[in-house]
Amino acid sequence: MAKYFDVSVEDIFNTMEARFRVEGAKGVNAVLAYDISGDGGGKWLVEVRDDSVKVSKTDDLSGFSVKTAADAETFVGVNIGKIDGTQAFMSGKIKIEGDMALVAASAKMFTRYSLPKKSAVTVQGIFDTLLARFQPQNAAGLDIAVGYDITGDGGGQWTAVIKDGKCSLETGLRDNCAVVNIVKAKDYIDLILGKLDPMVAIGAGRLKLKGDMNIAMQLPKIFAKFEPPKEEDEQELIVIKRNISVDMKYSTGPVMGKFFEGLIEKKIFANKCPKCGRMQVPPREVCAECRCWAGDMIEVGPDGTITLIEIIYYSSPDPLTGETRETPYAQVHILLDGIGTEETFWHLLKNEDLADTQNGDRVRPVWNDKRVGSVHDIVHFKKIRD
Amino acid sequence: MKKHKKNRNVAIIGIGQTHHSSHREDVNQPEMIHEAVELALKDAGIGIEDVDALVHGNMELFEMVHQPDLWHVIGTGGYGKACYRVTTGGTTGATIVGVGDNIVASGLHDIVMIIGFEKQQEGHTTGGITNMADPLWARNLQTGALTGATAAKTIKEFGEDRAKRAAMRLRVTLDKHAALNPHAHRSFGLDYDQIDDLMANSPQLVGELRLIHMCSQSDGAVAIILACEEKAKKISKKPVWIRDHVTVHREETFNMFGINENQEVTHHNAARKLFGRNGITNPREYFDVFEMYDPSSWWGLDWLREFLQLEGDEHLKMVENDEVSINGSFPLNPSGGVISTNPIGATAALRVAEAALQVRGDAGAHQIPREVKHALASGFGGTFWTVLFMLEKDLDWQEAE
Amino acid sequence: MTEEHKHCHIKEGKLALPYQYFAGRVGSKFIVSLRDKKKILGVKCEKCGKVFIPPRKTCERCFENISENWVELSNEGEVTNFTVVRTDDKHHPRKAPYVLAMIKLGGADTPITHILEGVEPDSVKIGMKVKAVFADKAVNTMLQIDRFEPVK
Repeated sequence: MAKYFDVSVEDIFNTMEARFRVEGAKGVNAVLAYDISGDGGGKWLVEVRDDSVKVSKTDDLSGFSVKTAADAETFVGVNIGKIDGTQAFMSGKIKIEGDMALVAASAKMFTRYSLPKKSAVTVQGIFDTLLARFQPQNAAGLDIAVGYDITGDGGGQWTAVIKDGKCSLETGLRDNCAVVNIVKAKDYIDLILGKLDPMVAIGAGRLKLKGDMNIAMQLPKIFAKFEPPKEEDEQELIVIKRNISVDMKYSTGPVMGKFFEGLIEKKIFANKCPKCGRMQVPPREVCAECRCWAGDMIEVGPDGTITLIEIIYYSSPDPLTGETRETPYAQVHILLDGIGTEETFWHLLKNEDLADTQNGDRVRPVWNDKRVGSVHDIVHFKKIRD
Repeated sequence: MKKHKKNRNVAIIGIGQTHHSSHREDVNQPEMIHEAVELALKDAGIGIEDVDALVHGNMELFEMVHQPDLWHVIGTGGYGKACYRVTTGGTTGATIVGVGDNIVASGLHDIVMIIGFEKQQEGHTTGGITNMADPLWARNLQTGALTGATAAKTIKEFGEDRAKRAAMRLRVTLDKHAALNPHAHRSFGLDYDQIDDLMANSPQLVGELRLIHMCSQSDGAVAIILACEEKAKKISKKPVWIRDHVTVHREETFNMFGINENQEVTHHNAARKLFGRNGITNPREYFDVFEMYDPSSWWGLDWLREFLQLEGDEHLKMVENDEVSINGSFPLNPSGGVISTNPIGATAALRVAEAALQVRGDAGAHQIPREVKHALASGFGGTFWTVLFMLEKDLDWQEAE
Repeated sequence: MTEEHKHCHIKEGKLALPYQYFAGRVGSKFIVSLRDKKKILGVKCEKCGKVFIPPRKTCERCFENISENWVELSNEGEVTNFTVVRTDDKHHPRKAPYVLAMIKLGGADTPITHILEGVEPDSVKIGMKVKAVFADKAVNTMLQIDRFEPVK
């Protein structure tokens, strides 16, 4: 099985059910399909049904809610955090078909795949540092051999020979050891790292000391404490997250005020520049081009013609609520009847009209039953279909 | 040669920029700024004590910290100095250089450091931009700086395939440029054979504006040191002269979307004014390089026409014929542009900084392969606001008059 | 009231946005030390000799990098100035009235502003000796010191 960064594609999928987070999948009912190409690739379906998940290898990916296609190396790399997902996606190495939002949501549904932890500390590693840890001032007058019989996977046999304030290390066990430590490799590492208490280990029979117990008790003084190699850059970096929310009061002024009063009466008012004849909607105090007083209110519309339809696939937070709108939805720029040709009116299009509406189509406002003088007095514009 | 009136000449004598990234958890705001400040001082070969005044700019709604200049003094070196705080939206970076140019030219200060920064990751960029709109109307409708209007307009004018292809070709070209710039935030390793794939498969944001077309959100800072002619000649071996800059501003233009396509936009207006008062009749010939504020590939494509006062499909041809690539006859954004690196308050200042590096010949791997004597740099913000700079290697434009 | 004024209305609104703040390496070391060791750290500028709190990467006067010169400060200090907050606001950390004091800790050259409790607002005096009381929970801000109280 081809491995990338020490992980195979199978590893990712085989652990997926175990990595499932019920709390992250609430209300999700979706089929995530994966088409992984290249060595070690294949096709998988991940069915998420609210609080359960089923992962299966398959040949048929039909019926998916979203499909992710990538080569095996990219897929593994992104899953274990070795490759930046956004970068891979933007450069076309990952392709997504269907409901994009589910891909983002899947990050909440599964905990990240983590490499099986390899203990950075090995028995060999501990003995490699033994001579450096020797403390001659605490070994004065000693002429002894100390044996280590480390059993099991990763173990081995060593003898530390201490004489004339010096220490040497041999592999194998000398016959004349003053004391021999017999312990399993895993327990020995835990003892050295301080995770296993020596007295507990002796009591449980996990550490056996053959020979002179007094010498055994002196060992922690003869050899300084083993310091495990530091992982690079462990500093915790503080990030605080906040959501600022400030209550505001906005003054309409008389011009926008009259416009809002009009909306309450289901009327759309524009104002006309006495100099250039442009009309402005919503009205502004002055003509934006001529910078002179912009004149009286004139009712326009309410029907109009779309000059530009913008279909929004990416939504930003609503400044009032912090919530984001469902996408896609459409904004329309409308040339209202009677406005002339120089200023469009900006609003939303009825979602049901999204599929078959285009520039040049005629639209009409749908008024809100409760009108208070706001942009929401018009729910949206709908296509005129007669 | 025709020139615009300036009280005294002003040169760029020091440039420093941080590396730009999507996340800088390792530094807070003043620390990040300080990196750029130190580099700029080192580049100029002067100390903070030589700087008379600072101009500091960003957009507060992006980090939601009010008046950051006050606590940034720790990093800017502004203690006891004249400090100016400027915020003009996306244009901020260009406006701070413009303010620096003006206060040196006026004789008010001899050496001024301008500092632009943003930590985009600390806030919500699109939300922040949306909150700049009129609260009574547009704020309820706007989606930040995302719009498919220019894409729609270009497609209508030149046909779907040609327009989409040209925008994506420009995108790939600038990605290749970004790959040469070690400071650039993003480079995806795109190639021209991916154009069809990206045109079809890059996710849509608004209309035909796709994710790959849109600029990044970056953390980063830039500092530029400006000096009067007398000081610049003493301090710097390679001063880059700010010959002129122009600012053009107008009311928001959402109310013109889909109509009035023939109305002059601020970019065209700014370029016309700047070139006119400096006697530039053929900007494509005069300028050796252009660092444009290109928030999206659609805008970058369309704005080539506006800035260079082109007719018909000349701007598309420039892209199609690779004239805008780093080895072409009119290199556009050899740095990779805004599309690769966008710490917004710094972004427009980076255009000036990168253009100046090109004039000095110090741009490194993204230095264009011929001598740069005249450079153009633009800033953009709001809908619409333009700042346009022209930089010169020599002071020779003044002698000929 | 003129005719025009009749058309002037007030609309309720809100400005709500999510944001985050990165303390950076220097700031994080300071906060983590408060939280995990209940020790208050400052940084010293070798050039001007000033000890700053909160710690910062650069001495603003000398423009020297001082981010490695950590100094442990005393948890006790004296009030160099203070004010009594007498209005309530949702953004305030305490209910009014409460005292905000400038406190110069032993070993520091710059005071920090913090909440002073355990004393009547009217009894606070400049020069008063106070000590830090640390928060029980991780808050990861300056409020890792919950408050100062008078030294008894």
